[in-house]
Formats: sequence, C-alpha cells, structure tokens
Amino acid sequence: MSAVLMVRLKITDLTAWTALEAGRKLLPPGHTLERVLREQVILFEPEPGTGADAFEAPLADAVKHSNFFVNPNKESYRFLNAAERGEIWTPPQGAWGILARAREDTRDEGLRQRLLREHPLQGLRAIRRAKVWWLWTRGPDGGPAVESCARALGILEGRRQGLLVNPHFEAALVLDGPMPWSRVESFLIQPAPAYRAAA
Amino acid sequence: MARVAVLQIPGVNCEYETARAIASVGLEARIVRWNEPASVLSEFDAYVLPGGFAFQDRIRAGAVAAKLPAVERIAAEAERGKPVLGICNGAQVLVESGLVPGIHPGRVEIALAPNHAPRREGYLCRWVWVRAEEGPGRATFASGAAKGEVIPLPIAHGEGRFQTADPEVHARIESAGLALFRYVSPDGAPAGRYPFDPNGAMLHAAGITNLRGNVLAFMPHPERAAWLRMVPIDLPGTWGERRRAAVGRFDALEGPGPGRLIFESLARKLESASVEGARG
Repeated sequence: MSAVLMVRLKITDLTAWTALEAGRKLLPPGHTLERVLREQVILFEPEPGTGADAFEAPLADAVKHSNFFVNPNKESYRFLNAAERGEIWTPPQGAWGILARAREDTRDEGLRQRLLREHPLQGLRAIRRAKVWWLWTRGPDGGPAVESCARALGILEGRRQGLLVNPHFEAALVLDGPMPWSRVESFLIQPAPAYRAAA
Repeated sequence: MARVAVLQIPGVNCEYETARAIASVGLEARIVRWNEPASVLSEFDAYVLPGGFAFQDRIRAGAVAAKLPAVERIAAEAERGKPVLGICNGAQVLVESGLVPGIHPGRVEIALAPNHAPRREGYLCRWVWVRAEEGPGRATFASGAAKGEVIPLPIAHGEGRFQTADPEVHARIESAGLALFRYVSPDGAPAGRYPFDPNGAMLHAAGITNLRGNVLAFMPHPERAAWLRMVPIDLPGTWGERRRAAVGRFDALEGPGPGRLIFESLARKLESASVEGARG
C-alpha cells in the first residue's frame, strides 16, 4: 500500500470558484452545483513487494518540515499513512469526486530525487501526482445526480458538455462513493485507460 | 475595408499589438469585449482570439473562455465560412471549444497539453521556425508564404503541445493536411525533437486548422514579429540577415517582419471574398 498526501488551498481557491461559476451554467435544468473543492493527490509508491510503512514515519517528518510539498502560508494538508488511510477512500460528506491524472506517466521523478537528496528514505519507488475535484451537486429528486452532473461537468466532450478534464491529455475516475484504495492506486500507477470517443 | 474583431477576454494581454498588426495590412481592427452583446460580432468579416491568459488559465488554458457566448457566436460565424485565427491562448480557446479540428462538429477532439521536452518542463519563451504545408487552410492563412519558406516566429507558452488520444483524429489531421504549420529547423529540415520542436506536439504541429480551412489554432505569436525591428539581431537565417542589415536604417526597421505574412494572407483572403461577394 502507498502513502498519500492530500494538499488543498486554505486561502480562497479561485480556480475552484471559477469551476463553480462555469459549471453551474453547464448543468441540465433542475440540477444545482453548490460547492467545488480541489485537492492535489500525491501518492508515494513503495518498491514492489513492500509497503509504505518502511518510509512513512520519516516521510511524514519530511512533509512537515520541508517545503517540497506544502506551502503552509497558503495550503493545508493531510498525510495519510496506511493505518490512517484504511482500505477505502470515502468522499467528503455529501460530495462526489472526479480524480484526474495525466494520460502520460504520472511519476514526478524530479520531486522524488529532490526529496531523497535531503531526506534519504528507503523503499520509495515513485511519487505520483493527480488532482481531485470534489463536487456537491443536487438533482431534481434531491439526490446528488452523479451521473448527469458528471456528464455535464466532467470529461470535456463539446462546447456545451464537460469542463474539468480534457480527455486528450487526461484520464478521469469518478468517485461516486467509497472507493477501494487499491483501485485508486491502480488508476494512478497503471497506464491510462484507452480513450473512447463519445458515441 | 474588411473588419476584424479582436476578442478581448479577461486575462488576454496581446489584443492591442494584435490589432496593430491587423491594421498594418489594411484591415480595420476593433477590440470587442467579451461581454458586449454577442450579436455585435456578426458585423465583422473575421475574428482573432489573441494571446494571454484568459480567465487566468483557471481549470485549464482556454477551458473557461471556450464556454463564452462570444465564442459560441464566433463558432456560428465560422460555420458560415468566416475566418477565425486563434493565437496562443486564442488557439487554446479554439481547441477547447471544438472549433479545431472540427472533424466531428461540436466535439472536442484534441488538447493543447503541457509542453513536453527532455529535461525541461513548463513555460517556454523563445524563437522557433515553422513552415506552411499544403492544406485547406493555406489559402486563408499562408498564401503569403512561398513554397517551403521557413518562417521564424516567437513562442511563449506552457501548454502548446497539440495532442489527441483519438487515433482516428490523429490520422485525419495528418491525411487532410490540417497541420498547416509545422516546426522545422532553421534550414527547413523536419524539427525532430527539442529545441526545434519546442513542446513535443503531434506531427510537430505549430498550427492546426479545421477541415474547411477557415479556422486556425496557431501557437506562435505572429503579431510579435510583424515588424522587422521585432526580429532578434542574432537570429540565424535570412530574416536575421535582413535585421542586421537594417541596423541604423529606421525606414527598413519599420518594414514588415516574418509574422506579417499571416495577416497579409488573411487580408488577401478577405479581399478576394469581398470581390466574390460583389460579383455575386
């Protein structure tokens, strides 16, 4: 299992605010978008056959005391070791998410090398990056209407459909409920799924 | 005189120099704000989306601007055959709105992804060399270029890599000649990798048109090379030689630079359309 660092702005996130404003105009009638939250997801992948417990403690210290990952003046973070993380990633109360990664290799090798230069860690194979958009939506029936809202706000298909993910250089995973971390890890580590043109 | 609208979206920063470059070829340029009634745009004969950082590139470069009613109106005018040129951030808007390449109308088929080059990433500002290929956009945007002519132009972008995940779209862009401008080396050889291809674009594309050839998404900045005085004095090739020969000759320095031909080509196209319209 990998360790995970979640970083978000604690100052106003103008990109999320813009996504809220732009996204509201794309929703089908009767749907509302109430809030958007954006987080960076940084995955610390262990060497094959090992776990992140080999480097979790010194990594947590490095995250706290270095400025590689978090600017404490404007960002807050949650460092999730294997024990805290559990087996399941649960969206924030009332939200669902769109996890987006680059279609290319998600590894940030430069960051790994900089980290290891100052904080020697054993067993860290790769650092991978992605971002997650948390969305609070409501459909005509009062439920979150994940499917229709994901179609309207998620993968960009045309001028009037999609916003947050351009599928020609990004891949997305909809987090419409509790998601096994193993699936998230696989999504971030394996090559991106093949593009499928809209029907 | 043909009229060209330069669309001013919050965050763009090249609208005034773009309007000057348009005026330099005898066209009337007017800067149109994004929040003017979109119907105003129908009064124009062509449209230019200038460079900059529309809506601060929030979410993704061009993503928010692509949803504007003004862009919707420009898309409708493009369908009627009016020329549309997107420069740098304007190109990103055209791509994000699905106007380019427009193989399946209304669908977004490509991206302008972050630059990709060995051992460097992020924003890149430098001069590059491009060549106009044969394709449906040549008559509108490159008629002023001689066959095989190498054109030096500046680029300034972090997300300039034309990219598609759809193999069918990739094949169609290539076979239909939609990659109108491609990066080359200063002597005109294929660009290969960085530095002559500055961002790793598919087909080494610097500019891609739609199938009809009247909409061009162009990453270099021709308005920043519209006068000879804008050419760096140490630039290799014939344009550099002209620039060096013009030192101290202010009349020569005020002459056209290599980027002018994009606007001259557009002016020629609009003039011929006007003549055809008068005949019709």
